[in-house]
Amino acid sequence: MLRGRAFVYKRVFIRIKYDHLLIREGLRIREGQERIVEAYVGEYASGKSEVALNRALNLVQRGHQPVTLVDFDLVEPFYTLRPLQKELLKQGLQVLTWETGKVIGWGETGTLLKPEVRWALNRKGDVIIDVGYGVAGIGKLALLANIDECPELKVYVVLNMARPLTASVVGIVEYVQTLGTVQGVINNSHCGDDTNIELIQEGAKVVTQAANILGLPVIGTTVEQRFAEQIEEYDVMGNPVFFLERQMNRYLW
Amino acid sequence: MAEKPITDEKRVFMTGNEAVAWAALAAEAEIMYGYPITPQNEIMHYWTRLAPKYKRKFLQTEDEISAGFTTCGGVLAGKRAFTATAGPGNVLMQEAMSMAEMMRIPTVVVVQQRGGPSTATVIYSQQETTLTCFGGNGEGLRLVYSTSSHQELFDYTIKAFYMAWKYRFPTFVLGDGYQAKMRESLYLYNPIEKGMPLAESYPFLGQEGRPGVEREPSHLRNTYNTEEELYQIISGYVEDYERMIPEVVEYQVSDLEDAEIVVIAHGIVSRAAREAVKVLRQEGRKVGYFRPITLRPFPTGKLREIAPKAKKLVVAESAQGQLFKLVQEALYGETVPLEPYFKPGLGITGEELVEFLQSNFGQ
Amino acid sequence: MATVPKMPKSWRVETKPHKFCPGCGHGLVLKALGEAIDELDIQDRVVFGCDIGCSLLAWDFFNVDIVQTHHGRTTPVMVGVKRARPDRICIAYMGDGGGYAIGAQHLVNAATRNEKITAILVNNCNYGMTGGQMAPTTLPEMKTETTPYGRDVEETGYPTQGPEMVAAITREGAYTARGTVAKVRQLKNYLKKALQNQLEGKGFSFVEALSGCPTNWSTNAKATWAFLEENMTKYFKVGEVKVPVKEEE
Repeated sequence: MLRGRAFVYKRVFIRIKYDHLLIREGLRIREGQERIVEAYVGEYASGKSEVALNRALNLVQRGHQPVTLVDFDLVEPFYTLRPLQKELLKQGLQVLTWETGKVIGWGETGTLLKPEVRWALNRKGDVIIDVGYGVAGIGKLALLANIDECPELKVYVVLNMARPLTASVVGIVEYVQTLGTVQGVINNSHCGDDTNIELIQEGAKVVTQAANILGLPVIGTTVEQRFAEQIEEYDVMGNPVFFLERQMNRYLW
Repeated sequence: MAEKPITDEKRVFMTGNEAVAWAALAAEAEIMYGYPITPQNEIMHYWTRLAPKYKRKFLQTEDEISAGFTTCGGVLAGKRAFTATAGPGNVLMQEAMSMAEMMRIPTVVVVQQRGGPSTATVIYSQQETTLTCFGGNGEGLRLVYSTSSHQELFDYTIKAFYMAWKYRFPTFVLGDGYQAKMRESLYLYNPIEKGMPLAESYPFLGQEGRPGVEREPSHLRNTYNTEEELYQIISGYVEDYERMIPEVVEYQVSDLEDAEIVVIAHGIVSRAAREAVKVLRQEGRKVGYFRPITLRPFPTGKLREIAPKAKKLVVAESAQGQLFKLVQEALYGETVPLEPYFKPGLGITGEELVEFLQSNFGQ
Repeated sequence: MATVPKMPKSWRVETKPHKFCPGCGHGLVLKALGEAIDELDIQDRVVFGCDIGCSLLAWDFFNVDIVQTHHGRTTPVMVGVKRARPDRICIAYMGDGGGYAIGAQHLVNAATRNEKITAILVNNCNYGMTGGQMAPTTLPEMKTETTPYGRDVEETGYPTQGPEMVAAITREGAYTARGTVAKVRQLKNYLKKALQNQLEGKGFSFVEALSGCPTNWSTNAKATWAFLEENMTKYFKVGEVKVPVKEEE
């Protein structure tokens, strides 16, 4: 009985301390304005995880510290960043994702939100969020604590015109409109190993046209490093080109 | 019918589950019945997203027993109906599939295998091979296509509708969790434009005309009175099935001419097998490749032709000998040794097969 | 000839006399149903599904399209047909075991989804075809092959109150009633209203019919009717349980 009570006290104490910490960190968030907080949304296989991952690694390489990559894929927690986690840590990136073997029955117990992910916006430094796709669209972001107090948050839609539903201007406009408020779109048109430069440039055209209708900026076109010889600093539409190093394709899923 | 979901052939990038949903649309499937289970969920997600645009229907049922039986009902009503499931759901589905077998109801079921037995994992395995081929209290009078890529998921889902309605045996597309979730490019096309015929569907119940007056009523049953009556019915089915075999059986082979060791694998493991054979051939190893695409009926004839020329057959699968049993049965009486490579519930890579095969060559 | 009762038009003459036991209530339920089909003139639109158990003997009973399914699975098969062909009038015909035990999840969920089908459940307090075992509807103290000392409600619970359950889980538009073969005209009216409800696309309709099973009850004619009219109706109240609100009201 006594032991039980002591245990409860201890828990309460820890909780208070923890909350205090959060508040302190929260204040710091509001102070630091140059911090980068970005969420990447998109359909399955749009390449949002790849784009988010590359963006985070790029920030690390540019000397930003700390940079946290948040796996916010509640649809398929099994198939995204999980296998890469250890390697990314070595590269200086903090990764918030479930660890293999730590959680029983993924997909069976429903979608699972990791508590750390819920508090991700309270972390110091840059935060890059890979948002899993679902019918809620970016409505999912409401699950993140303090989202309303994070004015620096930018939500970008990753678009791949090799996906039938976002293969046309109309398709993209309809799709982006279902998502809610976003700050920009990214042309990440690709076909995995079968990508070619024509697809990328065609994607640039379609995405740019759709973005004009939507009144959104095109943040850029993301291109695999292997196309470096075939594309310059800007795509055919004049959007900046960012080069990607594919990480996700090293795993079966 | 509303506008066509796919007009021109186009290259796309998607998950395997999406490829199945698009294939069902392309095959002009009219209704899907389903119950959530990982890893097939996105088939339903995409179907429910796309179906209203093309005037197709969906019903989420209370369980897989119901999903199976409502699918039977949809087909009896004359519609190209299908469902998708996995693992424990596939177990429950078998009751309805045994009715489909007995009543020759051309159902289409897409199975994305997950780990087993029991709940196991939601991820991957090839442990539903026996269940999908022989589930139910019957003779396994079914058509089972084992796919290995997104393109095949698309191609064979379309084909499954056609074959099911042509031969009236329940037809399965056997994928797995990796295929379901992987992202890969494939071509989407409209089968009609490729000159591929659509499944000709017709009602088994609820035809036009007043029954008993303008036509005979349809009275369908799966219960028979005597052993002799049942025997006669099943014998007739078996005859139909055997007649169908040469018309439907499919396999893939390579590098067999001088092969001393032949690797046998199905589904996604066949990709690893193909890769291993390629690597070993470059090293000058005499190794060949055999992949059954139809697991039911099994390409027995081709395998029996290959077997006597080889010194050893290696059977690789993500299960504890489910493909192996099919191979053994097909090769009854042959003396070629069979070497198992079993990884129940675990993926198999090309690299590990290369290593295993090298050791079999005595290195 | 004059003494032979008139058969409903929708009955199939070639399959009569039917195969049910002498004194079985199924024949009366199916007569009421046949008349309801005739009066509504829907013979060419009906798709009739029958379950396993005694109800499967109805598989060639009518000049309507019929499919005999598995035990408990008639409801989902009819749901499947109705969803695929909404212009058909789908009837799921089952016994108390099929509806309240092995197929209970289908009945509950079809009712909850307000599926536009009609389920008819024949309640005779036992599993008839398999030789008289306890059913969900076996009365307290009643002896069956698996309750040789009488049904002990402490151990096996109380009999299922089907229409009341269905009424509780359905919403507006559903029709629920319990009739009895002792009042065939009333039963026919319930069945007709249930089918009418489907015709109008209002919602799920469900009729339980109290019925006798002299073979398994080991009762003569007099005792069968006594059991049906006294014991059963004391526990299972006959009447409409839920009627859709009329639009003009």
